[in-house]
Amino acid sequence: MSALEVEAVADRLATHRSAGPRHRFGFGEILAALFLLFVLVAAIAPALLSPTDPLAIDPGDAFSPPSLAQIFGTDESGRNIYSRVVHGAASSLVIGVSATVIGLGLGVLLGVVAGLGGRVVDFGVNRLLEVLFALPGLLLALFLIVVIGPGVVTTTLAVGISTAPGYARIIRAQLIAVRSSAYVEAATVQGRGRWWILRRHLLPNTLAPLLALGTLGVGQAIVWASALSFLGLGAVPPSPEWGAMLAAGRTYLSSAWWMSVFPGLFIVLTAVCATVLGRGVQRRTRQR
Amino acid sequence: MTPGSTSETRAPARRSRAGALALRLTGRLAGGVFVLWAVATLTFFAIRLIPGDPAQAVLGGPGSQASEEALAAARAEYGLDQPILVQYLLQLGRLATGDFGSSYSLRTEVAPLLLSQLSGTLLLAGLSLAIAWLLALLVATWTTRGTRAAEWVGSGLEIVGAGLPHFWLATLVILVFSVGLGWLPPISTPGPLGLVLPVLTLAVPLAGFLGQVMRESLLDALDSPYALSARARGESETGVRLVHALRHAALPGISLSGWAFGYLISGAVVVETIFARPGLGRTLLNAVTLRDVPVVIGVVMIVALTYILVTVLTDLLGRIVDPTARA
Amino acid sequence: MQQQHLRPALLRATAAISALVLAGCTSSPAETATNDEPKTGGTLVYASGDAEPTCLDPHVGGNYPQALLATQVLESLVSRDSEGTIIPWLATGWEVADDGLSVTFTLRDDVTFTDGTPFDAEAVKANIEHVKDPATGSSTGYLAMGKVDSVEAVDATTAKFNLSAPDSALLESLSQTWVAIESPAGLERGTDANCEAPIGTGPFVITDWVKQDSVTLERNDDYVSPPADAGHDGAAYLDAITWRFIPDSASRYAALQAGEVDVIDNAQPDTLVAAEGEDGLSELDAPRPGSSNRIELNSGKAPFDDVAVREAFIRSAQVDEGIESLFFGTADRSYSPLASVESAAYSDPSLFEYDLDAANELLDDAGWTERDSDGYRVKDGERLTVAFPVSTNQSIPAEQSLFEQIQATTKEAGFAVELSPLDLSSWYGALAANEYDAVSAPYTKVGPDVLRILYDSAGITPAPSGYFANHSQVSIPELDALLDQANATTDEAERTDLYAQAQAIVLEGFYILPLYDQQNHYLLRDSVVGLRAMPTVSTPTFYDAWLDE
Repeated sequence: MSALEVEAVADRLATHRSAGPRHRFGFGEILAALFLLFVLVAAIAPALLSPTDPLAIDPGDAFSPPSLAQIFGTDESGRNIYSRVVHGAASSLVIGVSATVIGLGLGVLLGVVAGLGGRVVDFGVNRLLEVLFALPGLLLALFLIVVIGPGVVTTTLAVGISTAPGYARIIRAQLIAVRSSAYVEAATVQGRGRWWILRRHLLPNTLAPLLALGTLGVGQAIVWASALSFLGLGAVPPSPEWGAMLAAGRTYLSSAWWMSVFPGLFIVLTAVCATVLGRGVQRRTRQR
Repeated sequence: MTPGSTSETRAPARRSRAGALALRLTGRLAGGVFVLWAVATLTFFAIRLIPGDPAQAVLGGPGSQASEEALAAARAEYGLDQPILVQYLLQLGRLATGDFGSSYSLRTEVAPLLLSQLSGTLLLAGLSLAIAWLLALLVATWTTRGTRAAEWVGSGLEIVGAGLPHFWLATLVILVFSVGLGWLPPISTPGPLGLVLPVLTLAVPLAGFLGQVMRESLLDALDSPYALSARARGESETGVRLVHALRHAALPGISLSGWAFGYLISGAVVVETIFARPGLGRTLLNAVTLRDVPVVIGVVMIVALTYILVTVLTDLLGRIVDPTARA
Repeated sequence: MQQQHLRPALLRATAAISALVLAGCTSSPAETATNDEPKTGGTLVYASGDAEPTCLDPHVGGNYPQALLATQVLESLVSRDSEGTIIPWLATGWEVADDGLSVTFTLRDDVTFTDGTPFDAEAVKANIEHVKDPATGSSTGYLAMGKVDSVEAVDATTAKFNLSAPDSALLESLSQTWVAIESPAGLERGTDANCEAPIGTGPFVITDWVKQDSVTLERNDDYVSPPADAGHDGAAYLDAITWRFIPDSASRYAALQAGEVDVIDNAQPDTLVAAEGEDGLSELDAPRPGSSNRIELNSGKAPFDDVAVREAFIRSAQVDEGIESLFFGTADRSYSPLASVESAAYSDPSLFEYDLDAANELLDDAGWTERDSDGYRVKDGERLTVAFPVSTNQSIPAEQSLFEQIQATTKEAGFAVELSPLDLSSWYGALAANEYDAVSAPYTKVGPDVLRILYDSAGITPAPSGYFANHSQVSIPELDALLDQANATTDEAERTDLYAQAQAIVLEGFYILPLYDQQNHYLLRDSVVGLRAMPTVSTPTFYDAWLDE
């Protein structure tokens, strides 16, 4: 669940602190970009990175530890885990990115309506957000799964919807902070029109942090989705999806650690790299 | 950026503080009642969308070979044969008087059942929140604006912590601390020892989130005039950090507590299952699987109520700690 | 017939329990020779991985988790020994009328329920009526008592069961915990109270139930009625049992290793292998009776309404290697509709040999000649899809992986198997809506009469609740007749022969793909002595068990 994380970013954005004496193009950022490039290629053209069929079973070679031939080892059906991780990048990214887009989209909609509408609209949207916050996110996800049936689409929807209120709240707060800022007041004094201010000041300054919010959200969405796989209701087998692999590998954690550690590593690394890059981009835009 | 406490309050600053507080409290409570009603309504109708006959849950759960007469009898007993609107109004009326009805599957009153499960979950969530807060504070205090390596380690710990799924972390800590080292019981026990691993599992990812927030407010605090003057007075850097860190990290920590509570409840579903702890999370999961409508509504209402109380409390607390808090 | 599987490890048998074989994995030789006097006292902690029952009275509903716990508390009229012979329990004897339309039981006269109510014929009558009362909501017991019209209390120790038709399975049915005898006074308290703590004649009494945590069972000091194959007389050795619910298999095993619990059930295959290398743990292996674990193919609709397509699916499914690697040798492949503990089980391995060429030929001949770009077969624009709902509550991870392997191997022949993991309610919903082509649903019942429940055409029509047991939707008049005959005959040899014919029809019609026997693996600490599984439905009984500490 990424809303907390997101609040952290919003806090950071709301305070217009000058960027600290940080590195420009850090070694970390280059590494992060390289890793994300790898994941992206894996998602678009997995066959380039792993020609092995991720679905090909070989029960005779089940539970093989990592070796030169199979660098991530094999799973309980003798499938090549490296290949499954590579071929699973697409659906994991789809879940991560789409869920974040859905969450952000709904969040922007609600946040902007609340921030720009009158007091009554704001009050209404705020209560709606409280209702959504008061419902446990997992319940919402379980509910959607039971009604629509399990699968990538349901998981994505569930994660997207349950993260939306967090985003909405941040965007609304950001909008209000910008609206009361000195330059908007100056523009109002200058007699600029409502729409001019909205277009020139409010929206750019409110929506700029979306990229940063998004990069943080992607990794969290994948982790969140894996909890549904743990409950047995995530991605549909046999499609390789990182969260589902992590959940399946947990059963064998004591005897075959590689089954869950490698997919888990990719989830965490994707989240870390996206965050590092997101922060870098954010820093650079702010310095300009 | 307290949830629900943004700038509805550019309102008259001249009014007495106590009065403003009272007014605000009333407003929050009224809002709370609205939220409870909306949550009950949403849950009631949403659960009707789920395929499956609740009468089945009454008669031995899914897969029972209940006869038509038995099903009809069960429907009549629980009022399931009434028009949906009547059922809804009856349900609301009962909820308003604190009557949660009887569980379809467990054949007991919902209210006492949930009360017996509530304390375990509250204890788990409360302790996890406190530990998460402490962990986040420690990491943030020690690594913020330190050497570049320290900052990398600190940030890294936070991001990795926040990226660990509960179900996986739970199994890992059981394997390490229980099976490997033999220090702690892997399942809930009557003593406090059984709480350690579940609390750790819930606290670490949350600490990752909180740490990132605190790092930011710390950066602010370390640049603030009082930090500078404290340094000028010759206070040690650690002293400055602890004294000012505590104060400044307190605000975002407090304001996020309401939110973190909701997060912990979702996490409790997983943690209570793995560590075999009684609690609301497990109750909710079982009730959804069995389509036990009164229990689902009951759990949701209790969680919502607790959420509202926590946000109201933290809102007030935040105001007391820092009266000048931005809205 | 072998009731308990022997594992190739050190064997240890306790003094009195000759029928039982415990496989000790790493017991030291000194301990192996232990013949100590049983020690009285102590509290044993049992950790169950089965779902926590919503009602402890096994008459209500009637599932396996209920039977596990009720075995400690409730007793049946008869039991079954490890040879498959019905033996006396609360009934000392029985006589079947010449026309087969009534069975008269002679009851013990020295037994009282733990609430003080005497056990007599009226109690038996009240219990059968309770099971048959629609308001009770019994399913397993209700089906088992299907042919019982009424029970007459002839005198205090004589109960006469009047049947609508001869029922050769009656004694086997009555040996099950789902029709165990409870105190009539207890039943009269109403379903709610009785669900909290059913009252029986058993060696233990339910004293407390903390929901989602544990049930506390305490010794019944006045216990007098062990079944004929029990290890001793009189009260149980243990003071109490704490019956915990630990749904997660990894935590359950960790709790056993840590000594927090003494016995666990539902040990997973990889755990069993790990436990073999662990000091101080041993295993009790007790396969369940009734049906084997199998995949049922829905012959009621396309594509499996065509026997050739069913055969092609079965011929193209590679199962043996998967069972070997996923179950680490803890489960043997089955080729029968029945569990191997059933003496009437009939196997035909020749029908299940993997043969991809034959499968392809069958599908070509059946008109599934084209393949789409993904390699799946197509006919009239329809893909050869097999909808396979999987219950995540019932299928263990290893079994779900096996389904994935079957999905992968049948794909070679052009089948598009769509596995959908579902929670229990949704899974039953999919079955009731006939939205499945293949499904795996275990069914536990003592004796071969389970075939009548699973393959009689009457089992296709759903009960009002939507439940039905004939998932293959087999509808063959000849098979129905065979099953009826088998159920009516009193001649054991004839019965076995009729059931063999019935099983041959099911297997040769390719209605099912048998996988392996239903598994019941218990792991216990070496300090637990004398634990055995009931030869009826393989639930553990703690009556003879004691703690050697």
